[in-house]
Amino acid sequence: MAVSPNISFDNVTFNFEKEQIVTNFSFEAKPGQHTLLKGESGSGKSTLLKLLLGFHNPKDGSISINYKSYNAREVRKQTAWLPQDLNLGSGTVEEVMVKPFEFAANQPSRNERALQNRNKTLKALGLAPDILDKQFRDLSTGQRQRVGLAICHLLDKPLLLLDEPTSALDEASKQKAAELLLNNKRTVISTSHDPFWVAKADNIIELS
Amino acid sequence: MEIIDITWTQLGIGFIIMVVPAYILWKYRTGLNRKLLTASIRMVLQLLFVGYYLQYLFEYDNPWINAAWIFVMVAVADFATIDRSDLKRKWSVILPVFGATFFGIIIIDLFFLEIVIQLPKLLAAQYTIPITGMVLGNCLRSNVIGINAFYYSLNEHQERYQFYLACGATRSEAVHSFFSKALQKSANPTLASMATIGLVSLPGMMTGQILSGSSPLIAIKYQIMIMVAIFSGTILSVYLGIVFTNKFVFNNTDMLDETILKN
Repeated sequence: MAVSPNISFDNVTFNFEKEQIVTNFSFEAKPGQHTLLKGESGSGKSTLLKLLLGFHNPKDGSISINYKSYNAREVRKQTAWLPQDLNLGSGTVEEVMVKPFEFAANQPSRNERALQNRNKTLKALGLAPDILDKQFRDLSTGQRQRVGLAICHLLDKPLLLLDEPTSALDEASKQKAAELLLNNKRTVISTSHDPFWVAKADNIIELS
Repeated sequence: MEIIDITWTQLGIGFIIMVVPAYILWKYRTGLNRKLLTASIRMVLQLLFVGYYLQYLFEYDNPWINAAWIFVMVAVADFATIDRSDLKRKWSVILPVFGATFFGIIIIDLFFLEIVIQLPKLLAAQYTIPITGMVLGNCLRSNVIGINAFYYSLNEHQERYQFYLACGATRSEAVHSFFSKALQKSANPTLASMATIGLVSLPGMMTGQILSGSSPLIAIKYQIMIMVAIFSGTILSVYLGIVFTNKFVFNNTDMLDETILKN
């Protein structure tokens, strides 16, 4: 895994149609730390993650990685992202878990290692290995979320973006997810309302 | 065997049978009678125009004029594809769809007409115009299905597309499953008609050749060739249509320009 990056937003403003979603917003996520974005629904937490991934373009301000100018395509090679509602279409859990490892950016050596660790990771998140044969779309929201977290962990990227990662998890699964994903090797930026997850953050950024 | 000509009066008599479907559509208040009238008038006028134009084309039989006619047919097909795919008429769509259809049809025409049939004259009108028309008509139908399926499915499931991008996928890796589905959807109608041809339907080209006095065996050989041309042409033009439009409708961070979609 590459060295975990430093991320900074400097006076970022983003409008969607005529509505201003993010206004002059600045924050810094330090390497190896867990930075949590906290705020009401609609305060723009998910949008900030999408701005970082290049899914939206800021109207004003700048985003930098390791104090250098930002390129969304390069950033994505270093990230794993868990969206709020993970929908990976048709296919078994095994098929949807293998797919990200077919991309050229996720090298073959990592692919093999990840597949070897797959069952261990699923078990750590409280999922039995037979889940691999089930259709992904038949899973409950909580199971989907855990499969998404497993993919994020197995991709072994230095930057982890987690959007409400515990919203459908029980207490035991939350603990397991935190143990698995939060370590000082990765820069983690997450959004959450959950007091359990908020308590696991190194820095909390409040959005108004 | 000499072909029996149809007089204009006989053609007019033929239209009498339209009273039956028109009555059924009226009785069930489908609201389609006005459309039926417009479509019938358009059909007659367009075919009359083409009939006279083709007579002129066949008389001169000049490869440049024939190529120009193919160009016009592709241009009309281009706009029809875009409209029926529920995309907007923007240059970022018009030019790549035109290019895809044009390249697709030229490759198929040159292969079948010049290499397989080996026409004595380049782009001879008698063969080029009807075969191009048949292949192009099918390309149009497949392009509509394929291009619509690709862009609307990508827009509907953009979280999945974005998830793949966020996992480090290039744009072509991230759209792969959408591309695969679009190709499946567009290939299915042609595959179904290939599988049932001769049993369920007697195709137009074969029927036309038999009516004009060709032996059924020659007609069958042409029909087999035309089915191969149609299948190859449709897959090629859908593939090129998606590949070419992909170059123009994404921004520099791989996000789809949603303004190309009508709905």
